[in-house]
Amino acid sequence: MKTTPISTSALSESTRLFLTTLQAKLAQTQKEVTTGRHADMGLSLGFRTGEVISLRQEHTRLQTITDTNAVAATRLNAGQAALKALAETAQGFLGQLMAGAISNQSQQVLQTQALSGLSMFADMLNTTIDGASLFAGINADVRPITEYQAPGAANAQAVASAFAGAFGISQSDPGVANIDSADMQTFLDTTFAGLFDPGAWSGTWSAASDQNIRSRISSTELVETSVNANDEAFRKLASAFTMVADLGTTKLNQDAFQAVVETATSLVGQALDGLTKLQADLGVAQERIAKANDRMSIQMDIMANHIGVLEGVDPYEASTRVAELLTQVEIAYAMTARIAKLTILNYL
Amino acid sequence: MSLSVGLDVALSGLSTTAEQTAVVSRNVARAGDPHASRKTANLVTLPGGGVKLASITRASNAALFDKMLGATSDAGTQRVLLEALNRLDETINDPELDASPAALVSKLGEALQRYGAAPQDAVAARTAVAAAGDLVQGLHDATQVVQQVRAAADAEIASSVDRVNTLLVQFETVNREIVGGTQRGDDVTDQLDQRDQILASLANEIGIRTVRRANDDMAIYTDSGLTLFDVGPRSVTFDRTLIFAPATAGSAVYVDGVPITSPQGPMAAKTGRLPGLAAVRDTVAVTYQSQLDEIARGLIGAFAESDQSATPTLPDVPGLFTYPGGPAMPAAGTILTGLAGSIVLNPSVDPTQGGDASLLRDGGISGNPAYLYNPTGASAFSDRLQQLTDRLNAQQAFDPAAQAAPSDTVAGFASSSAAWLQEMRKNASDDADYKNALLQRGSEALSNATGINLDEEMTLLLELERSYQASTRLIATIDNMLGAVLQMVG
Repeated sequence: MKTTPISTSALSESTRLFLTTLQAKLAQTQKEVTTGRHADMGLSLGFRTGEVISLRQEHTRLQTITDTNAVAATRLNAGQAALKALAETAQGFLGQLMAGAISNQSQQVLQTQALSGLSMFADMLNTTIDGASLFAGINADVRPITEYQAPGAANAQAVASAFAGAFGISQSDPGVANIDSADMQTFLDTTFAGLFDPGAWSGTWSAASDQNIRSRISSTELVETSVNANDEAFRKLASAFTMVADLGTTKLNQDAFQAVVETATSLVGQALDGLTKLQADLGVAQERIAKANDRMSIQMDIMANHIGVLEGVDPYEASTRVAELLTQVEIAYAMTARIAKLTILNYL
Repeated sequence: MSLSVGLDVALSGLSTTAEQTAVVSRNVARAGDPHASRKTANLVTLPGGGVKLASITRASNAALFDKMLGATSDAGTQRVLLEALNRLDETINDPELDASPAALVSKLGEALQRYGAAPQDAVAARTAVAAAGDLVQGLHDATQVVQQVRAAADAEIASSVDRVNTLLVQFETVNREIVGGTQRGDDVTDQLDQRDQILASLANEIGIRTVRRANDDMAIYTDSGLTLFDVGPRSVTFDRTLIFAPATAGSAVYVDGVPITSPQGPMAAKTGRLPGLAAVRDTVAVTYQSQLDEIARGLIGAFAESDQSATPTLPDVPGLFTYPGGPAMPAAGTILTGLAGSIVLNPSVDPTQGGDASLLRDGGISGNPAYLYNPTGASAFSDRLQQLTDRLNAQQAFDPAAQAAPSDTVAGFASSSAAWLQEMRKNASDDADYKNALLQRGSEALSNATGINLDEEMTLLLELERSYQASTRLIATIDNMLGAVLQMVG
């Protein structure tokens, strides 16, 4: 027969178990206080762990796109700067073309201008950024424009042979002075213009690809973030510089030279219009990137907030719990000690 | 009545008090043993007035004991389940560490985006391929963990079966002693305690029901009704599988030739460690493995190359990721068991294996020029990379049998797989807490009802001491009286 409602082993076992449970909770809560996050994400969140992981994925994805947008933005800025410089050069050249009366001296000056314009043109279009050519389209590893004044340059040779084909003499021949303005005009409009057709251009002048670089600027948007050296504006500008620079300029008679200047003036004017259009294209891309960045930054803020809500623990609540647990542990210790002392043996 | 009768009675009192003291000291000695039950000495009055120790009984409570057995089995199941899920959690860990397959997929996406922004950059290409390599390694590691968990569960089943057999043999010996002792009228209370302890250990391995019969004989059945012990132990058999690959199916545990661990079997045991371990080996780990396999299949699909000829005639082939079954694509929407362990980076794109990382941009990883996306080799060609990013972020169909999202992006599927695992783990942990609490309460209640209380024993000892003193006083008094009589006579 047993009469007591409690056994000695149950009594000591229960205080022991109570203590270990408290200590385990204490360790967990302390971790939560120091990190501000759940001690064990999976256990606290359950299936919502998937949500946290997805949010984190989305967050890093947007962060990466924002980072790569900086690369695209740099490319666009550099492109804008190059276009602006080109437009200024073209503007200056246009001013010179329209400025004064035709004289031997002005022919000399214009040729120098055109030659420096040509080299400036090649410099600008051959700009590279991080090892990638800015105006080469997707052929980013080549320098798109052949330097006209380099020895044996294909574009210069093509002009020379076209000239020789049309007039039977080279550009440096004194006989150039005998070319009349009508012949010159015909040459400029047909053979010479043909040298700057897209096909011929890609053969002798440019190694660029027609395909522009496309960048992903947000989860869904793909935009072209470069212009290429095969654009009509560049071809027209090159043709204007070339005709003034290298058609025997200083030796031409004034009528023929007048024809050259008029054609060049009109071409530079068209090129300037084209350059403005290109600048506008790049500007649109720049604006889209800025807008995408703004949008993504808002999205990322929301996500970061949500991740915080899911993963985080209220630090005040957690530290209150620690204090509470500490008190409980102390009470448990005191109780255990007193219960252990409480035996009838002491009174026998 | 005579003085000598009084003397006899006093003497019998002395000897029974001594025997009772022996019982008390037996109780005191085992006070710390949670399985010990309290022994009581039962006295009977003899004709003529003497007392005698008739029998020793123990405090017992069959209902509480059975409840404790049930709670032990339940807690056993949940504990092994939770342990296995905690091991599987190694493959995911804290989301902040970005170590899960889901995080590795998203890192690959990130590297692709960076490469897409600078397609001419050889370093970006290598980084993207390296991220893909990390992902492959992550899937291999996860597969290994899953198979280790399965192998460990199998080994534990083997040792659990050994234990059940040993316990049944021990049970046979103790049970025989009890039946014999009861028939002879011996004190079998210690053997009964021992038998209870064996039952508790047995219940930890497998859920049991007991039937008590005449002479304290006992038969044991599994909770599904199969006989484990009736007069003699039944044989529990199991063939251990030493090496686990994803396609390996472990063997079942048989009792008398009837399987008890196949979940669909009519005789499947429901609780205890054995069915828990079998569930880990045959269900939980297998499902998780199939989720990993689906992630691998999704990746092979997303990075597949298609024929770029003007009139495409060739079938799609695996690109960046391939597997031993290539160049055929794995069947869409169906689990290919073990794919996560066999998926590899295509050597032709992996610089560490002498490959060319820029093939990721240009296509033609499979070696056939028909699959070239960038035939001119333009260095800033990014269309294919953008396409890959799109495909990685496009919804795919996954086998619903994998129990994660049936239609999602690869990364989304990987997240839902993590969600599946953590939800299982949370539930198992909650359940384990609950079942443990039940077990604790049950054990406590049982111990309170049948266990030993030192204070009670001590007060009983005081009583016995007094009774011993009284008996000796009686003897002394009777001696005096007899002395007086003798003096009178002398």
